[in-house]
Amino acid sequence: MSFAAYQPLLDFFLLSLGFAYSQQVVLRAGVFSIATPAFAALGGYCSAILVQRYGAPAIPSVLLALVIGGVAGFLISIPLARLRGVFQAIATLALVQIVVSLAYYLEPLTGGATGIHNIPKLVNTWHLLAVVAVVIWFMYVLSRSGVGRAFDVLRQDEMVGATLGVSIARYHALAFIISGALGGLFGGLQSLYVFTIEPEMFGFAFLTAVLTYIILGGPRSVLGPIVGTAVMVALPEISRPLAEHRQFVQGAILMAMIVFLPHGLVDGLEVAWRQRQARRLDKEDREKRRAHAVAGP
Amino acid sequence: MIAQQLLNGLITGSVYALFALGFTLVFGTHKILNLAHGSVFMSGAFAAYFAVLNGLPLWFAMVLAMLCGGLVCYVIELAAFRPLRSRGQIEFAALIASIGANLMISSLAQRISNTKVLRFPFGTFPVQFYTVMGVRISLLQIVIVCVVAILLAGLLFYMYRTSFGRQVRAVSGNERAARLLGVSPNVVFFQTFFISGALAGMAGVLIGLSFNSIHFLMGEPYLLRAFVVVVLGGLGSITGAVVAGLLLGVIQTLTVAYLPTGLSDAIIFSLLFIILLVRPSGLFGSAITATAARRQ
Repeated sequence: MSFAAYQPLLDFFLLSLGFAYSQQVVLRAGVFSIATPAFAALGGYCSAILVQRYGAPAIPSVLLALVIGGVAGFLISIPLARLRGVFQAIATLALVQIVVSLAYYLEPLTGGATGIHNIPKLVNTWHLLAVVAVVIWFMYVLSRSGVGRAFDVLRQDEMVGATLGVSIARYHALAFIISGALGGLFGGLQSLYVFTIEPEMFGFAFLTAVLTYIILGGPRSVLGPIVGTAVMVALPEISRPLAEHRQFVQGAILMAMIVFLPHGLVDGLEVAWRQRQARRLDKEDREKRRAHAVAGP
Repeated sequence: MIAQQLLNGLITGSVYALFALGFTLVFGTHKILNLAHGSVFMSGAFAAYFAVLNGLPLWFAMVLAMLCGGLVCYVIELAAFRPLRSRGQIEFAALIASIGANLMISSLAQRISNTKVLRFPFGTFPVQFYTVMGVRISLLQIVIVCVVAILLAGLLFYMYRTSFGRQVRAVSGNERAARLLGVSPNVVFFQTFFISGALAGMAGVLIGLSFNSIHFLMGEPYLLRAFVVVVLGGLGSITGAVVAGLLLGVIQTLTVAYLPTGLSDAIIFSLLFIILLVRPSGLFGSAITATAARRQ
């Protein structure tokens, strides 16, 4: 059956999509956070330790991973509310480094550099599909609600948002909590899926991969991460040269997207379509007025 | 024993400072966080390695590394940052573009080196030790300190005693005003990026020599440390970068020597996090950098 050959790829796509949403929420709210690997590591170690060391069942450990991620997101949002722009990126990068180096250091708990192995595989494709479906539904509802609109305002102009009565600190905290919870949840799922967890998994490569999904897909729409993640996961499978030069292609995509299509594929096309629509309406309007002027009153 | 640790720390720190100087120069002047700085550093080391392999003398390889680093950094500017500049708010876009550039350069280097660790041929640099007042110091360490001191003096002279440096400082103060007064921004961009890359290239050679290991990911840990140096010293401050670099070198050597292994990184990055929250302007930053970092 041909589906079986692609099943690992589908699973990888589903896990990556979860991390992509975790990254998207903060970018959507205008926070330059790159803390998703830290949340993923926290959630991943949480469920790995609970299941492998203490024989805990899957559902509570994954839920606890979600809660830990969310709490971490909330805690980090308090100090980060004081920083802006690139400094938030530096601070969250420091956070990722702290979490990773603690994972190396706390050897009795995390297994140090070798990590934790032989984690029972308690998560399969159907579980991942179900969770991802719920997450997509949640993101859709969120983007249609007042929260989504508040995020959009804060991303475009904080000042305008503040004058319209949108609390910057509160909505940024909310974005961090959602990002942390999603990161923790999928980190937890990942370690129950791939048998093993080690600090190296949450390094620079993870961070750039997740950023690429969002830059490619777009920071605003629900469809964006799906497209971005699907393209990046599928690219190495399409042809051999693409797989061999994966890093190079990834770098080139990042640079080309940010230069030519800074809103990503989905958002960029949406913007272009709307602009065309607006121009056509404008043209029709002008022609109508001209016809009116020629005909005279 | 502690004197020996301090000395080693200061020498490591001087290389950190050299690496971070270029990073802070670009950030201070153009508000661009160049995450490809680590791969510029690596390309300098690669250039020196191939020069030495082809029988060129080491001093010439060092010059070549600086040229190569400068050129690579300028190419990054042309390809990644210049197209973004017309758009205004480029902080985040520049960050992403430089991550892309970093991936491309390091994957090219991976291809060139076949993912292997390159080593300078034996005897590229004479292994000699001197003992001064009970402290051992190698010839290489002396050379490192001298090179860093010369480059630092050159940079300070350039920035504060020449007309070019005045133009760079004018742009960092207010780009629009500088342009109105007839400063060509493209010339300034060329200078800052070239100097930044040249300093990183030299740092790459010095690190390559002292650990005798050159590989395509060697820039990553130094880039992460450069964040600490630059934030601790105050973004855009040359003095700050030097003092913070030396300080970081000492802190790192002491934590590695006297604390359990693995804790050093956690301490260093916690330090970065705390400085950002408590004093985002760093040790030597002005009030302007503080307002740039803090939300109003």
